[in-house]
Amino acid sequence: MPEITLQPISVMTDGGGHEGHLVLAAGHLVAVLSRVTAEETLGEREQIEGWFLEAGFGPCGPLMSVTPPVFTDLDQALAWIRTRLEAGLDPS
Amino acid sequence: MTCMTNPLILKLEQRDQLSDAEKRALENAISRVRVVEADEDIVREGDRPNESSLLLDGFAARYKLVSNGRRQISALHVPGDFLDLHSFLLKTMDHGVLALTTCRIAAVPHATLEKITDEFPHLTRMLWLNTLIDGAIHREWLTAMGRLSATAHMAHLICELYLRLKVVGRAEGDTVQLPITQAELGDTLGLSTVHVNRVLQELRKEGLIRFQGDSLTILDWERLKKVGEFTSTYLSLQNEHR
Repeated sequence: MPEITLQPISVMTDGGGHEGHLVLAAGHLVAVLSRVTAEETLGEREQIEGWFLEAGFGPCGPLMSVTPPVFTDLDQALAWIRTRLEAGLDPS
Repeated sequence: MTCMTNPLILKLEQRDQLSDAEKRALENAISRVRVVEADEDIVREGDRPNESSLLLDGFAARYKLVSNGRRQISALHVPGDFLDLHSFLLKTMDHGVLALTTCRIAAVPHATLEKITDEFPHLTRMLWLNTLIDGAIHREWLTAMGRLSATAHMAHLICELYLRLKVVGRAEGDTVQLPITQAELGDTLGLSTVHVNRVLQELRKEGLIRFQGDSLTILDWERLKKVGEFTSTYLSLQNEHR
């Protein structure tokens, strides 16, 4: 499994900068996560604040995966990314 | 809000005149009326109904499930819509229809539909028109889903729902009741709830719409249409001989 690293970055959403992370696998960009409030997840089964997959690339991107629900914390987001890196074409 | 006139008659009369005999035939076609609560299935995938369901009040959705409980809503239905007129000829349902709110449903037996097609050629064409409009809406949705931005797609859907509700007497001025959750909008547009929130926020911020509870007001129709690249041709709203 490649080494996963996080780089803090401000992401432009809703007209302003929001806390976010670039996620790199072995130095390659695989995902951009941004912090969302509970208000922004209104209508999900559980309304939570957390981390949203703003953009994904390769196995985490729209060509090979579908947008996952909001993650409660970064660990959960990274677990999803690791699963995607291993899963290839299998849906998850 | 309950309309005294059968909303299907309102919907069809928007497009062409109906004779008194045709209207009577439609009224008499209803064998019973039932109430289906929100989140319950009206018709299930795989069912072989012997009657078609006409929505009198409420909102309903045609849907299909994919893996992990994910769902795509392929059509939203408002009063006056036949939820499964096609089951008369297609027989086996290839998708389900779900009540999004409490729905009042009129059952029209397939045997009665067959009788209408035998005895009322113009009314038969109007029911054909009804399914053709369903098909036109599907084409429009597919185009919007594939080629519009999420914000434009939402604007397009709002324009369409407003007009469809207005035709059946469910609009008060620029306001309609739209008791559809953001999760359901997400399943309709193929968007995450985060994105649904953002695009609605964008349309509100731009002064195009206002939501107060379930009440949706169009503040700037012309700009909303422009943003959604919306033209109503596909809804066949002109009253002409068909």
